[in-house]
Amino acid sequence: MIELVRLTDVVKVYQGGITGALNGVSLSIAQGEFTAVMGPSGSGKSTLLNLIAGLDRPTSGRVVVGGTELGELGEAGLARFRRDHVGFVFQFFHLLPNLTALENVLIPAQLKGRENADARGRDLLERLGIGEVANRYPAKLSGGQQQRVAIARALINKPTLLLADEPTGALDTNSGDQVMDLLAQLHRDGQTILLVTHDAKLATRHSARVISVTDGKIVDDARLETTDRPAADVVRLRSEETSR
Amino acid sequence: MTAILVKAIADLRRRRLQAGVIFVTAFLAVGTGTMALTLLSQTHDPYQTAFDAQKGAHLQVAYDSRTDPAAMAGTSRLIGATAFGGPYPVTSLQFQAGSRKFGVDTIGRDDPGGGVEQLRITAGHWPSTNDEIALTRSFSELNHISVGQQIKVVSVAQEPALTVAAEVVDIDEGSADLSSQHAWVLSTAIPALTVEGSSYYLMTYRFATDPSSAELQADINRIRAALPPGSIVGSLNYVLVRSIFNITNQIVTSVLIAFSIFALAATAAIVANLVTGIVISAYREIGIMKAIGFAPWQVVAVFELQILMPATAACLVGIPLGILASQPLLANSSHALGLAYVPTFSIGLDLLTLAGALLIVALAALLPAFRAGLLKPVVVIANASAPRGRSGRSLRRLATRLRFPRPIALGIGDAFARPARAILTLVAILLGIATVTVALGLPRSFTAINNSETYAGNVDVVVRKSPALSDADALRIINAQPETARVVAETGDNFSVPGIGDPVNARVFRGDSSRLGYLLVAGRWFSGPGEVLAPKALIQDAHLTLGDHFSASLHGSTVRLVLVGEVYEINSLGHSLFMDWATLSTVAPDLTPDAYLITLTPGAAVAAYVQRVAAAQPDLLDVQANDTSIIGPVKVIDTVLLIIAAVIALIGVGGIFNTLLLNTRERVRDTATLKAVGMSPRQVMVMVATSAAVIALVGGIIAVPAGVGLHAYLLDLVSNSAGNDTPSAAYRVFSPLELLALPIIGVLVAVAAALIPGGWAARTNMVEVLHAE
Repeated sequence: MIELVRLTDVVKVYQGGITGALNGVSLSIAQGEFTAVMGPSGSGKSTLLNLIAGLDRPTSGRVVVGGTELGELGEAGLARFRRDHVGFVFQFFHLLPNLTALENVLIPAQLKGRENADARGRDLLERLGIGEVANRYPAKLSGGQQQRVAIARALINKPTLLLADEPTGALDTNSGDQVMDLLAQLHRDGQTILLVTHDAKLATRHSARVISVTDGKIVDDARLETTDRPAADVVRLRSEETSR
Repeated sequence: MTAILVKAIADLRRRRLQAGVIFVTAFLAVGTGTMALTLLSQTHDPYQTAFDAQKGAHLQVAYDSRTDPAAMAGTSRLIGATAFGGPYPVTSLQFQAGSRKFGVDTIGRDDPGGGVEQLRITAGHWPSTNDEIALTRSFSELNHISVGQQIKVVSVAQEPALTVAAEVVDIDEGSADLSSQHAWVLSTAIPALTVEGSSYYLMTYRFATDPSSAELQADINRIRAALPPGSIVGSLNYVLVRSIFNITNQIVTSVLIAFSIFALAATAAIVANLVTGIVISAYREIGIMKAIGFAPWQVVAVFELQILMPATAACLVGIPLGILASQPLLANSSHALGLAYVPTFSIGLDLLTLAGALLIVALAALLPAFRAGLLKPVVVIANASAPRGRSGRSLRRLATRLRFPRPIALGIGDAFARPARAILTLVAILLGIATVTVALGLPRSFTAINNSETYAGNVDVVVRKSPALSDADALRIINAQPETARVVAETGDNFSVPGIGDPVNARVFRGDSSRLGYLLVAGRWFSGPGEVLAPKALIQDAHLTLGDHFSASLHGSTVRLVLVGEVYEINSLGHSLFMDWATLSTVAPDLTPDAYLITLTPGAAVAAYVQRVAAAQPDLLDVQANDTSIIGPVKVIDTVLLIIAAVIALIGVGGIFNTLLLNTRERVRDTATLKAVGMSPRQVMVMVATSAAVIALVGGIIAVPAGVGLHAYLLDLVSNSAGNDTPSAAYRVFSPLELLALPIIGVLVAVAAALIPGGWAARTNMVEVLHAE
């Protein structure tokens, strides 16, 4: 297995924070894995995702993605890294309201200087089942459609790592399921995916690995396809933890 | 009320930068406006005060030296004057002070007081012996001549020495930099200072009430009819003198008023933009305010107060500073009129300025504040901010089709995402660039006009001849110099032109005067006897058109003239005639030049030439290098223009800065998203700078022609106030490259103004923004 992500003793303390959002996290994710990071609100799971995405910097520790030590990159370097290696799907889609669906998808390619990515953009929208909305503005799309556009945008530059932060959090159950099926399909096609969710059922339904974070620490790292722990076990444990 | 105040103050603290923008723009606009209003309110008063105090002459009439003194004395009763002075004998005196020679009309007068034209002595004493002379203070200061100094009269063969006994302020003549000057000696001193043909009589008249120009014209006509032909050789009325005194302040005031309206308009645009921006970004907060009990009018009041507090502070600083800034100009007027300078301001006017400025600011803020007041709490609580502007899509698409890089295409679209905001910003930029265009053009036009009036580039040396020296002798000296390339002799005389009440000053040239560089408005330069040119005022007042033949009289003889051109000339406020020497050969065969306008061969040393000619006839020739410097009042106008342009340009920069601030804050989530998907900080900066550049470019493209038009309009105002049409050369002061460069400079300034908000956008904390939903 080729290692794609490695975190070593990562600590993240936000300004004014008494305790760290992450307290000495070490983690390795292999290429091709579909990993879910779970935890209650404020556990540090989104912080973990942000650090891997290069959206934020750790207070201490190392973050290496695809052989690149993110701590060594400046702001412009991090921007290039995000553009070239990472696709990010947000809970609230964050589409640019002034751009059509297709234009939103094409933005990362155009920022990279690839002006002729139209065909790929349209192809992605077709593959995600929303080819017909390519020329519509976000305000005219349903939540599920908006999130698919966001996924297409995340994939336009063929990222080595797809990060999704609560991608179904703002969707109804039906749309949420469709989005998760889509991510599963992408994983089957070879895409490395790191998913953050507080929904244990969602985490275990498609992910082969579920990492549980509580109070800024990894408290569990379950490989569902290799261990004898049934997914239901993980779901039950995490649900209990969340409710405490 | 307390809740409104508490909330408004809290918001103000939070929005310090916006408050700063309002403060600076309002301060600049109010300061300029106060300066304009202070000057406007004081422009007429000081002259009137001095005119009343010194019993100024409503009318001065010059009579031929052969006129019967008893007949002259009777003219006062003829026209119903309540007081009169004279007849005073007057002689044209040339004298030397230091190395320079001057010409003044010297009046024989024994008493500076009397019922008309009292002379206020500001230094020394009135002449008490025949070897003393009184000069105007304006003349003494301009030429650095002081009381006690000896001057040598060179216009008479005896060359007597006179001592400057007094400096006086004469309310009945313009300042020395704009008008020829009088001097005074005892009446018994006049005969010894007079050469034949250089004297006349002067009568001054004062009426019970201030007459109009037309009434004074009628009075002159009555006198003319009562006396033998040719008796009246000149006249001057107080309306003209007052115009000359006030012309600088009038032009400065007009410019200030025009541009302070600009400044206030730009400030109103910025305020409207700012409040709209605050309302847009505070949707949820407005919902909460209403949910906890703020009534719609209280919400409006909170927003109004947020704007009015910094605006009031700006007024409290701007109004006193505006008053202070206007004082040097007022002090200048007082000084010229011989009045004691008293710091001038009007509390009523200043309170009116305060109220007016606050009203404009409050009105500009009212519409967006109302919008906030009328928002429905349920709707706005659910939305963090107003729906984002959707316009600018077609521009962005066009940019994309033109293969602009994505950050640039996005920036182009952002520029007009909110059309109202873009238009208000355009207004501020447009006014800024248009004012800069005017400030660039007007001084150049003034220089072009000044150059034509001073023969800059066409005449190197001016030689003035004493009447005691013959024309032939003067020419012999001048022509003996190997560097003399061209000589144009000049003299002046007063014509009587039908339709014109006052005698018209004729400028008579001998030699190739077409190359002196006068600016023509229409027609051509004269090419033979009888052909004349005149400025607009004379053409209009005498009801002439180009090609018209008309008769005028000189010393009682009729001369047939034909108008061949309209010339620009501000002396005499447009009542003058330009003609060739040959025109007067029959009616004034003994005409002799006053001055020789000399052009030297290329590369000749002017100083050496001046020295040599002066040395050849040190007493009877005044030889000077041609002085082409700009006169003081024009310098004042140029300086005021420059300051105004800087102020309005600053307001324009404030406008674009404000808009970018609002845009970047409002679009912070979009920027964070773009950064998250890979937009680099540099690309963010490019995007923000592009949106600034596009607005500035559009503003510049509109502003430059507007500025050129405004320049022409103001130039016409100035020309018309001096009795002229503007010559086309005075309009053509912009090079195409400059006109192209102005919007580009506007773009560069806008891009520089974009650096701060662009930097903020580039540093957007993605994590904070994208997770703060």
